[in-house]
Amino acid sequence: MLASHQDVFNIVQAKFLAAEVVKSIHLNVSVVDGPSINSDRILALVEYNKSCALFVLISSRSQPISFSDLSIETVIPIDPNFSCETEPGAGQHYVILIIKYKQSRFQYNIEIGKDSCNFAAELIKSKEGSSNTNPNNNTWLEKYFGTMNNSNRNSDPVDQGELVVIRDGMVQGQTAINRESMLKYQLKLKEPEFTQKQEFSIFVGTWNVNGQPPTVSLRSWLSWDENPPDVYAVGLQEIDLSKEAFFFNDTPREAEWQKFVMDGLHPNAKYRLVALARLVGIQLAVMVNNQHYRYVKNVSFDTRGTGLLGMGNKGGVAVRLELHNTSLCFVNCHLAAHVEEFERRNQDYKDIDTRINFRKSPHEIKDHDQIYWLGDLNYRITDLNTSQVKTLLQRSEMNTLLKVDQLNQQKERGRVLVNYIEGDITFPPTYKFDLNSDTYDTSEKARPPAWTDRILWRGRGIHQVSYRSHMDIKMSDHKPVSSLFMSEISVVDPSKYRKVHEDLLKKMDKHENEFLPQVTVDQAEVTFELVKFREPQFKEIIIANTGVVPAEFEFIKKLDESSYCKDWLTIMPFCGSINPGEKCDVKLEVNLETDLETLYDILVLHLKGGKDMFITVNGHCQKSCITQTLSSLVRIQVPIMHLSKEELASALNNQGPIYYSVPRELWLLVDHLYRHGLRTRDLFESCALHEELIRIRDWLDFGSKDQIPGTPQAVAETFLLFLSYTKEPIIPFDLQDSCVAAANNFENCRQLILQKLNDIHRTAFLYICMFLQELLKYSNDNGYDAKTVASLFGDILLRDPIRNSKPQASRGKTNFVYNFLMNDLSSSLIPK
Amino acid sequence: MANRSGAAQRPNGQTQGKICQFKLVLLGESAVGKSSLVLRFVKGQFHEYQESTIGAAFLTQTICLDDTTVKFEIWDTAGQERYHSLAPMYYRGAQAAIVVYDITNQDTFGRAKTWVKELQRQASPNIVIALAGNKQDLANKRMVEYEEAQTYADENGLLFMETSAKTAMNVNDIFLAIAKKLPKNEQNAGQTGNNAQGRRLTEGDTGPKTAGNCCK
Repeated sequence: MLASHQDVFNIVQAKFLAAEVVKSIHLNVSVVDGPSINSDRILALVEYNKSCALFVLISSRSQPISFSDLSIETVIPIDPNFSCETEPGAGQHYVILIIKYKQSRFQYNIEIGKDSCNFAAELIKSKEGSSNTNPNNNTWLEKYFGTMNNSNRNSDPVDQGELVVIRDGMVQGQTAINRESMLKYQLKLKEPEFTQKQEFSIFVGTWNVNGQPPTVSLRSWLSWDENPPDVYAVGLQEIDLSKEAFFFNDTPREAEWQKFVMDGLHPNAKYRLVALARLVGIQLAVMVNNQHYRYVKNVSFDTRGTGLLGMGNKGGVAVRLELHNTSLCFVNCHLAAHVEEFERRNQDYKDIDTRINFRKSPHEIKDHDQIYWLGDLNYRITDLNTSQVKTLLQRSEMNTLLKVDQLNQQKERGRVLVNYIEGDITFPPTYKFDLNSDTYDTSEKARPPAWTDRILWRGRGIHQVSYRSHMDIKMSDHKPVSSLFMSEISVVDPSKYRKVHEDLLKKMDKHENEFLPQVTVDQAEVTFELVKFREPQFKEIIIANTGVVPAEFEFIKKLDESSYCKDWLTIMPFCGSINPGEKCDVKLEVNLETDLETLYDILVLHLKGGKDMFITVNGHCQKSCITQTLSSLVRIQVPIMHLSKEELASALNNQGPIYYSVPRELWLLVDHLYRHGLRTRDLFESCALHEELIRIRDWLDFGSKDQIPGTPQAVAETFLLFLSYTKEPIIPFDLQDSCVAAANNFENCRQLILQKLNDIHRTAFLYICMFLQELLKYSNDNGYDAKTVASLFGDILLRDPIRNSKPQASRGKTNFVYNFLMNDLSSSLIPK
Repeated sequence: MANRSGAAQRPNGQTQGKICQFKLVLLGESAVGKSSLVLRFVKGQFHEYQESTIGAAFLTQTICLDDTTVKFEIWDTAGQERYHSLAPMYYRGAQAAIVVYDITNQDTFGRAKTWVKELQRQASPNIVIALAGNKQDLANKRMVEYEEAQTYADENGLLFMETSAKTAMNVNDIFLAIAKKLPKNEQNAGQTGNNAQGRRLTEGDTGPKTAGNCCK
């Protein structure tokens, strides 16, 4: 049966205080890239005193039945540090909810539907409401942070600026997660042991195509080198200058240009597209030689618009990937135009560099082993006019010109592309040409030539082989630029990797096994001496922590049992925590209240996150007349302990002659009270000494020539005990409802007794009632009235199947007994 | 508005790092060598006088296959008959079991068959069961013929090997064979954390589990 959304909502609310109001919940949420694909998370938006927080709950069942099925995984305060956004998830039915809090980032897969809309609306409302609240209002959350594991409980996570993910009692869950990140980290450290450097040729090209559609072959640019490169990164700018491209970021030119790019790749190898990313007119395609394709992984891209509203007429696109074990990032950018705008260009660069985010680790450009930065960076030549530049070019005084190149100047001043390297430029400026010519701008504006199109790099093991422009491609006002690199890629040796990986896992296994909780118990078997009715015995076992971590122990239930031990046993404490080198004494108390031959139980002592130990508890029990059936007792002529095994067995099986109309022990107790107790004040209310009761019990069980020991009160208490612990109540369970129903009418009660109760029980019942009638004759002395007596005996003669520590008087039972205290019983003695 | 971003097309990268976690239980008559097999497998050790297990020992060990890594959570149970009734606590939810007997003792083989029957009746229907005829180093005192056990194993669809915790013969192999046979498809992926080490399968968790607690 599926619980409704409302049911779960109520269960979630129960997890919190009444003043902490659950505003909205979302079910069936899973963690993106989490260790589990189970949709077992529940998001709950909770408000307390105008402060909101998002709780991530894990349900231990597919549908929680009670709040104890829920544990809190994460608590995220909704304050000015909180932000959330969504992006498309797997398939059209899912959306990924991305939540950021300070340095932390959480991603959850949620199903699109009514619930998700409501939840998102509430979340956004809370976020908006949070902007004017004080983050210190989060103090109510502290108690939830407090439910964390010790390892996380260093200090208040809110103050740390880092959110702590709570793993409520899930040590193993935590190790599972730690294990994977640990493995990754260790593997990275050991990378040189299982990898070797191999040189890969990487062709990087950039060209501003001036909004022209592709018309000429790109071979002379892309296939310039003799040997086919292993990797291509081809960046284009201004592939479409139309308004449509700008406003809708959609252009047919993407496919057209990409086809020309693919056709232009080196004819001596086959290439496969790894990623194609575009932002308006800025396009970047990364291709690899087919034979390397299977070693490419974790590909992703991002784009970032700068300039006018950040909409993408300028900006950058980046593609990242891992080739074998080396991470590569290619960035194609088109920075702000105009000679004087170099600072704007610096800013554009910074925006792209810091704000490109690949959505998964590593997130940023800077986190890569090798970065190739290409594009129309648009830096110009300062302080020289067109004719001066042209003159210097004619005189081949390139170096003079390069000194006043803005990029070189800005880079030198640490304003842009810091730590990036650019090879020596030996080609003439690639901008601005008259279309379809090699002539620098002859238009009215006559812009001075500039090296706008550049390729730089950063990272280890990158060797530039050549850096050149391609003059013979004339359709744009820019010339294409390209660079060939020989770059060291770390290639995994599978057999070495396997060995390192396996060794690491072994090491981690060893570590994990060493850190399992370990305890010893001083005895695997606890034997109690002869156990007697209501005479508790104690034994102690000592649990010693012999391991290296604190051991949390708990006695746990066996399958199909309702408790971790039998009802005659009490374990104190039944759970606890022991520090390494320390011990814990556990007290086992046995208290027998039923008729058992022997005691036997196997306790399962469980160590959280570790092994189980079995402790066998056993002992022999002494028979007592108390806890027997009336029909057995009337067959026993002598004290129960005087019987031989066979005699006892036959009596207990209700075989053999009936000697008495009421059990001998019942008669002895009543007779004693009749003779010594009728005038005793509060006969049934005083608490006798435990030893006294034991003496009387033994007197009954073993017999003696002496008088019954103890005060009338002690005998009275034994009398009550006797009636309370008979194997069956005087009025059997199955008859009690009828008795209560008949309680208003004595005749009905009488008929019930006569017709439904067997002879032995009826005789005992009437015998007791007649004694009580006798008792009531001495009300003045003993202080009892019929109501009080009826109430006391109602609960004993018609006792509940489950023994309550404090039985509650039932009016019906009282009334039933009351009838028999107030009416003449002589007619009831003879059945019709 | 004009931003486009996200994951690009993803080529078939290497599938390294996929870790599957399985619960494995050892069952069998006392003194057939269950603990010794585990100790040999996990720590590479052998003790001539291995203490009797009173309870259920817990250890973990990882095995690397070609494309996946299998992590076993091993429950080594007490073999004494008095603890028999507690065994379901350990084999419930287990994806694999090794039923061990002593090749020098025919009774233990009979007991092993009873365990197999019990597993087939009560454990997860997909459980992978391996039969281990341990103490192969004492083959000169053999009371259970290899062929007899092999035939029985074939009839019941069990993996079968004769092993020796003392000489290490076939110890890693039998765990490896189980690891290979266990299903590792992602549909069966369960929550590793929940079924993982030391987590108790209590009353709410009684039904047989789908095998293969895989996770990536």
